[in-house]
Amino acid sequence: MIYVQVLANGIVLGCLYALIASGFSLVWSVLNIINLVHGSLIVLGAYLAWGLHNSFGVEPWWSLLIAIPPFFLLGYLLQRFVINRVMSAPVLVTLTLTFGLELIASNVMLYFFTADYRRLLLQPSLGSVEFGSVIIPADRLGATVLALLMTIALYVLLRQSRIGRAIVAVRVDSEAAKLMGVNVPNIYAVAFGIGTVMAGCAGTLMAVVFPFSPVVSTTFLGKAFVVCVLGGLGSVPGAIVGGLVLGITESFGSLFFGAEYAVTLAFSLLIVFLVVRPQGILGRWGFE
Amino acid sequence: MQEHLKNRIPQLSVTFFVALAAMLWTSATTLAQDKIVFGAPLPITGGLSPEAAKAQQGYEIWAETVNAKGGIKVGDKRMMVEIEYVDYQSSTPKAVQAAEQLITQKKVNFLFAPFGSGATKASSTLAAKYKMVTLAPTASSPQVYDKGNKYLFGIYTPNETLTIPLVNIVTKKDANLKTMAILARNDFFPLAMAKQMKQSASAKGIKVIFDEKFAINTLDHSATLTQMKAADPDWIFVTGYINDNVLIRKQMLDQKVTAPVVTMMTGPSYPEFITAAGREGAENVTGAAWWHPALQYKSDDVFGSTQGYVEAFKKKYGVVPDYGHASHTAVGVVFQAAIEKAGSIDPEKVRDALATLNAKTFHGPISFSETGQANSYEPPVFQIQDGETRIIFPDVVKQSEFRLNKE
Repeated sequence: MIYVQVLANGIVLGCLYALIASGFSLVWSVLNIINLVHGSLIVLGAYLAWGLHNSFGVEPWWSLLIAIPPFFLLGYLLQRFVINRVMSAPVLVTLTLTFGLELIASNVMLYFFTADYRRLLLQPSLGSVEFGSVIIPADRLGATVLALLMTIALYVLLRQSRIGRAIVAVRVDSEAAKLMGVNVPNIYAVAFGIGTVMAGCAGTLMAVVFPFSPVVSTTFLGKAFVVCVLGGLGSVPGAIVGGLVLGITESFGSLFFGAEYAVTLAFSLLIVFLVVRPQGILGRWGFE
Repeated sequence: MQEHLKNRIPQLSVTFFVALAAMLWTSATTLAQDKIVFGAPLPITGGLSPEAAKAQQGYEIWAETVNAKGGIKVGDKRMMVEIEYVDYQSSTPKAVQAAEQLITQKKVNFLFAPFGSGATKASSTLAAKYKMVTLAPTASSPQVYDKGNKYLFGIYTPNETLTIPLVNIVTKKDANLKTMAILARNDFFPLAMAKQMKQSASAKGIKVIFDEKFAINTLDHSATLTQMKAADPDWIFVTGYINDNVLIRKQMLDQKVTAPVVTMMTGPSYPEFITAAGREGAENVTGAAWWHPALQYKSDDVFGSTQGYVEAFKKKYGVVPDYGHASHTAVGVVFQAAIEKAGSIDPEKVRDALATLNAKTFHGPISFSETGQANSYEPPVFQIQDGETRIIFPDVVKQSEFRLNKE
């Protein structure tokens, strides 16, 4: 029975990882930018949910919706006025720029929020949901369902909406998209805005599940990177699959090899994928 | 004559201002020499930055208080205190570089060791190499001090001074508690603490039936806790830093993992543990640390007593200090006592003064064993009861009796 519990833990964790990674994957594939500020944007989302809950009693589920407009605006403006200036520069320049932005974001948050760890405490606690002998914390389950919904919403947006198809078109071939009348700089900014929204929304849910502080941004970023490589870059279903593979691997790795080796096992898997299947499980560059 | 003087006014003025400038320069130079510079390598960025923020507050309140009182008395004069910080980005190899930079480039007079036992041990070779008197604020593992390094001192008593009282309290309360689960962060101090607890528990007949480590930055402990639950221990002992403690405690509640005794090192010693873990999560969790604001020591230092320190800290920072703040203030206080005793800033004299020191500080009485580790006070053991931290040991400052979870 312990295996079923461990599997359930892995699935729940995997869905949360998927949400962390989906925005990161979108930005990487469309803009060809490894967005190192992604982890700090997740933490910023967590602080938003925490602040709204502690000051106005807003439940984190509503914070998720409240986060969408400001995070989109933040991402859009950040790309349009800062990142856009280095879009045609070599990858090292964009990497350095987002690293600088990460340092600024992290230190600004340290200044305002200090390095103390916080957690959004739901009062009363939601307790746990029991399926036979399998116990799943209700807040994790809620966050998992919302994470899945957010990821599916992104998938639908990219497949069904006009702006989504334009994003995919730019990702496949930005020159061709430009010739077809797509405003490429605008699409870059919109895609970055959506990636930022995904990060902010992930943060609002993470606030309920994990203790956070400005210094955990790199942990979130590391998970996003592994999930992208495992699942396949630029693929929303890939983010879900990658998240689940990582979550389940960590859970069973912890069971069979001990908790200290769970992360090592996950990164070993990453190396195997980079060698054997660098495009990831579902990665097909340019397709949804 | 007057005409003559008039003609010389410009010349005299220039001479006067040159002389004045020279006097000011000389005075400034003299002032610059009238200070004692302490080096503090700190993990200002990176994973340990929360600890560094506390450390810096601890150092600063000591330096400001001393300087406000005219500085440290060295023989028949007073010298102001200045602290030089270098960030080592939470990386132990960089901690050694930072310490060396402070010694060789910043030319500090004395050194505070970096954070924790691991970084202190790594950088301690510099103390011997440069004959730099070093005082460690947060290194408790005896392995740090067992290499005969006569320039290294530490104000934390050995880890066993925390685990033995805990085991005694628990076994005295209920002799039927026979099994223990240990979960430790894979890091120098938490592992040393886990090893020490295993020894202390085994000595009292408690069998360790679950012994696991988790990697630094682990985000999820559910699989490990599932295994721990299956083992059904009487006592759960978790050792790591506050973020680990909060996350593990929450996941324990989520998965209904419980035991008559739950001990966490060292999260519960921080006031924010109760806020972050919640009332339900924090209740009945026991812990131990080297200092607590409820202690009641009278001291000969600049703060006058533990309460004096707590009040000064609250006034400056608006929060109650925890043991992380206090130990960094205490190393300053101890250095001051040693320098004043030596009447000099000569490293050898200060070293000798430290070796024979018997100081009454707000942190407790401080004197050192032959290895350089403090051995002069009993660290408090506490339990969170009814939403607040209460001391359950030692008896002189005890505020409450120990409770089992099932009570």
